[in-house]
Amino acid sequence: MNTIVAPVVVFLGAPLLGALLSLTSKHTRFLRGLNLVTMSALLVSVVAIVRDVLSQGPITTLWGLVYLDALSAFILLIIIVIGCTASLYSWAYLADHLKRGVIAPGRPRLFWCLFHLFLFAMIVATIANSLGVLWVAMEGTTLATAFLISFFRTREGFEAGWKYLIICSVGIALALFGTVLTYYSSVHVLGDVSAALNVTTLQKVAGQLDPQVLKLAFIFVLVGYGTKVGLAPMHSWLPEAYSEAPAPVVAMLAGVLETVAVYALLRTKSIMDPALPEHYTGNLLVFIGLLSFVVAAFFILIQHGYKRLFAYSSIEHMGIAMVGFGVGGTTGTFGGLFHLLNHALAKSLAFFSAGNIHRRFGSLEIKDVRGLVTVQPVTAVALLVAGLALVGMPPFSMFLSEFMVVSALATQSFASDTLHLGRFLTIIIAHDVRSLAIVTVLLVFAAALFGGFTYRLASMVWGTVPDGVRRGEQWDVGHIPLLVTVGAIVGLGLAIPEPVKRLMGRAVAILMVR
Amino acid sequence: MSLFSIDVGSQLVDLGSALLLLTCFAIVAQRRLSACVDLFVLQSVFLALTASLVAFLTGIHHIYVAAALTIVVKAVIIPRILKQVIEHVNVKRELEMNVNVPTGLLICGALVILAFFITQPIIPLGFLLTRDSLAIALAIVLIGFFMMIARKKAVTQVIGFLVMENGLFLGATAAAYGMPLIVELGVFFDLLVGTLIIGIYSHRLQDAFDSVDTSKLTTLKE
Repeated sequence: MNTIVAPVVVFLGAPLLGALLSLTSKHTRFLRGLNLVTMSALLVSVVAIVRDVLSQGPITTLWGLVYLDALSAFILLIIIVIGCTASLYSWAYLADHLKRGVIAPGRPRLFWCLFHLFLFAMIVATIANSLGVLWVAMEGTTLATAFLISFFRTREGFEAGWKYLIICSVGIALALFGTVLTYYSSVHVLGDVSAALNVTTLQKVAGQLDPQVLKLAFIFVLVGYGTKVGLAPMHSWLPEAYSEAPAPVVAMLAGVLETVAVYALLRTKSIMDPALPEHYTGNLLVFIGLLSFVVAAFFILIQHGYKRLFAYSSIEHMGIAMVGFGVGGTTGTFGGLFHLLNHALAKSLAFFSAGNIHRRFGSLEIKDVRGLVTVQPVTAVALLVAGLALVGMPPFSMFLSEFMVVSALATQSFASDTLHLGRFLTIIIAHDVRSLAIVTVLLVFAAALFGGFTYRLASMVWGTVPDGVRRGEQWDVGHIPLLVTVGAIVGLGLAIPEPVKRLMGRAVAILMVR
Repeated sequence: MSLFSIDVGSQLVDLGSALLLLTCFAIVAQRRLSACVDLFVLQSVFLALTASLVAFLTGIHHIYVAAALTIVVKAVIIPRILKQVIEHVNVKRELEMNVNVPTGLLICGALVILAFFITQPIIPLGFLLTRDSLAIALAIVLIGFFMMIARKKAVTQVIGFLVMENGLFLGATAAAYGMPLIVELGVFFDLLVGTLIIGIYSHRLQDAFDSVDTSKLTTLKE
């Protein structure tokens, strides 16, 4: 029993302590040490939790407040891993800005406090047993990141932060209405008990909940958490926030926060599915996923800022993941989950490189960045790896997950429970005209995306270096996460580690409750 | 419970909810910012009264806690923060709106009808006492949402958001006699911190843009 409680206590205690203690000192060494201790404690705990979940199945602990199963453990793993790399990157990033006098000496204190609070809110969202607490934590992430986005205190930063704060708060308020409606239906079955919003309780009575109420509830939840994910048409805060916030913060927003918001949607979906007509939640997810994909594809073609380019690519990839979850089946769901992991890695890498480029070239415009390969060779390689992974080139794992989603979509009418990829060929002979049309649209836009994205990346990586830009990679601790993430992306393309694969397999089973 | 029959009780709850809705319309029609804040205080008091009434009639005690928190947070602390912001940014009236007042009121009327229409199929599931409040709650949420779109000043947008929250709270009380206490506490905490952050933000916006008119936030465009 103790072996289970200990990691959970660390999950809640470490980031909270880290946040409080960060405020006590402004010495860089102290802040770094604190961050290192916090992150290593979290890393050890997440490994312990993954092991426990794999060996014992779902865990309920701390008086029933905490619930952990394969799905939450998988999301936790993503949070902590990206949290670690983003932390290390922040060390170098903040040190550099301090040295150049962009930020005052006392400011890193605030950064680390909010960074740890942000982590705390996301961890709570993932391990909370109650859908209500999940909501509170999701709103908590908005509040914790509001000042991180405007960290540089620029005009643009405040504008982006304001939009983020207002749009996400409103979105999330709608999700609360959805949660209230869910509670409404469960109280009807269970009577007024405080456990009526708990995942463990809802799973038991899932089949008896009122479908009319849940239909309405799911729409509110989808719009609400969809705003946090950045799905179209609620995405308008996202490009702004991503282009103005500090690079490590964006890496966390894009890599982790979106994933956690998707988790909130998936958790709700898995609870509601047994009571709702087949494909109800799935069709909504496919629809909003495709819409996001198409909208993002259009906007990617007209972007002139590289951070905005990556921001729209986030919308696109979340769209793909939604299509995967919406189509369902083993292939679609597994593809969706795997896509979340790949996206978290590739997108954080993209923003790490973007941070390096921004500090060297001093511009967010694509046209101002030329000849990266001679200016910062390592960053150029990282950018290329991230970029090629994001457009879904074959050696990288994202190709695999996109492929699973597309093939799940193409074969949805004869849903198969096997995980082999040869079914791609059936697109051509698919008799189901509707899915054929959707797949065609998807592939056409994917081609457009591929062109627009690679063209812009190529123009940044090669070409003549602008005058006045210092050449040569300046090595610092921020290169460790860069190289580690490149390694992870390449590695995942070759093979998925056995425990992660098993974890994803279990999570797929949780999501396919029907 | 012995004092009132359930019928009189549900009439009173309906009355409370209707008063909440009425204050919504008053806020939409009001241009002076400080009056908007006062009306919001009035609405929060009505909300607390309605919630206490439900608590009294059902004998569920944790609703009292939520009602008390409503008074403290929404009728005392948050209005203070908002008044300070109004003082600092020195904007008393809202002259330009995206939607003018008469049109706004008409749209709000339509939103109320929409809310009743949406909740029609799920109303019969509810408790007898608070059955009709759910539709009113959704109407208040929608009107709050509309206010955020219709108004330009940062402060009125925040009030729109707070009105949405009031609607949600009424919805939770009406639909399920209040959320579990831990969730309720969390929501109040988020709301308080959120308003504080928004308050600080409006100061910063004022300093950076020399205006709290959010339609001037156009530095970032495609």
